Amino acid sequence: MIDRWLATMLACAAMPALAANQTVVIDGTAFAPASVTVQRGDRVTWTNKDPFPHTATAQDRTFDSRSIAAGDSWTWVADKAGTFDYVCTLHPTMKARLVVR
Amino acid sequence: MTRWIEVAGGALALALFAGAAAAAGPSDAQIAAIVVTANQVDIDAGELAKARAQSPKVREFAQQMITDHTGVNKQAGALVTKLKVTPEPNDTSKSLKQGGDANVASLKTLSGAAFDRAYVDHEVAYHQQVIDALDKTLVPSAQNAELKALLVKVRPAFVAHLDHAKHVQAGLGK
Repeated sequence: MIDRWLATMLACAAMPALAANQTVVIDGTAFAPASVTVQRGDRVTWTNKDPFPHTATAQDRTFDSRSIAAGDSWTWVADKAGTFDYVCTLHPTMKARLVVR
Repeated sequence: MTRWIEVAGGALALALFAGAAAAAGPSDAQIAAIVVTANQVDIDAGELAKARAQSPKVREFAQQMITDHTGVNKQAGALVTKLKVTPEPNDTSKSLKQGGDANVASLKTLSGAAFDRAYVDHEVAYHQQVIDALDKTLVPSAQNAELKALLVKVRPAFVAHLDHAKHVQAGLGK
């Protein structure tokens, strides 16, 4: 019993740090927060709370959600370091930034 | 005679009341009708443009107007139901509807590049008008906090549509 517990603990300790999750809310035709910094490997999820579709699209197309329907979410695993300015291609007034360290 | 005076007095009081109401801006029930009509008018124009526009960019824009304004109306409808408000047609909503019908009728006489330009020009002017109405009349007049919040929340979408329409307009050239 204790052996098994120890084995589990050791297995956990041996695992690399868990990737974090970051959420960006799309509401009122805006990204909030407008600027986010994450570590490489983190998951970034955009959740659309507006009653119509939006996209989260990096200017350099490193990531592109395509259309995220009303009420839906889209997740990107931040596998590339850099500073990414992104927009909603449907609503060009929506601008934000994602920094991956 | 007495009856006539009563009726006339009643009518006058009603007219004065209506005047006071107009001066104070639209009621929430009237605002609801204005919002629903404003969205529907743009959906109607979008449906025509989606079928008739020549430029793929104009057709895409028209489809987005249908999608976005349908979404806003769904949300407005849900709020109105929740608040138990019955949208009340009024001079503003009626003139919006008439203007929308006239626009569709005039667009139907056009085709090709002339249609695209007329549709997009109207979209630019229309979204500017709606933003002005939101700022000057609808948001300041809304009494219910949730209704006011909905108006404030959808405003940036109208600004984005205006921006997008201007972009499409510039792409069409002269």
